[in-house]
Amino acid sequence: MTLLKPAVARALGWATLTSLVVLSLFGLWGAPADDVQSDAQRLMYLHVPAAWIAYLAFAVTALASGLWLWPRTRSIVWDRVAGASAELGVLFTGITLLMGSLWGRPVWGVWWAWDARLVTTAVLFFLYLGYLALRRVPGNPEARARRCAIAALIAFVDVPIVHFSVTWWRTLHQEATVFDPELKANIHGVMAFTLWFGVLAFTLLYVYLLDRRYRLECLQEGLEDRELERAIEERVRGSQPKDPVDVAPGR
Amino acid sequence: MRYAEYVITGWVITGAALAVYWLRLGRRLRRAEKLDLDA
Repeated sequence: MTLLKPAVARALGWATLTSLVVLSLFGLWGAPADDVQSDAQRLMYLHVPAAWIAYLAFAVTALASGLWLWPRTRSIVWDRVAGASAELGVLFTGITLLMGSLWGRPVWGVWWAWDARLVTTAVLFFLYLGYLALRRVPGNPEARARRCAIAALIAFVDVPIVHFSVTWWRTLHQEATVFDPELKANIHGVMAFTLWFGVLAFTLLYVYLLDRRYRLECLQEGLEDRELERAIEERVRGSQPKDPVDVAPGR
Repeated sequence: MRYAEYVITGWVITGAALAVYWLRLGRRLRRAEKLDLDA
């Protein structure tokens, strides 16, 4: 009922914790302050990895939803993976929006701007919040999985819009810094190391939490099924006559 | 550190959000495992 073996999951948990501590040390002290943005740039070591992992999480949700919808690969496993990954995507998108806002105040002078990148990211956050709400709507598990899979694929359309918004429209948000359109990294030295380390740490965190969330989903479904069976049994027992003689024909 | 109030707030909020999610998930998982064993 887990995606990873227990020993692997445990080791991954410790590796994640260690990498997050190392990221904090580099992000707050190891990496130098930026020439233009000064120390406000330290928020980018959280903002950028969180945004990339949110893309990854929603991509996994879309892929798992597609695999559920495809009759040959249909399995409850994909529905569970989709739900678990979407929840993590919402968490990382929330962090992206908050860190962007905290960075925007000292650098842009505003907490929020009605900018294409910011608005499409906020839309992404609310789309997947809606998806999570949809997963809680009670009903037939198959029908629920189908409507959620379709909703996840529709919501995923916003991911490329978020990513390319800075190229498609003139925005306050800068264009790609790490990779320009020619796929050349415009960041070097300790700053680049810290950023990539942040991506690694958040990826480990995502994989670890996905495994845990998946296990929780499996256990909760098992408990719900057992409760439902018990309730049906009680209802059937309750509807049966206590003394069969009382309802015997001819009396 | 320049803009320390923004930087520290950002790192604290992120750390708290991740820690709360991680710990809450662990607690829910332990409770579900216990109920699963009892059932």
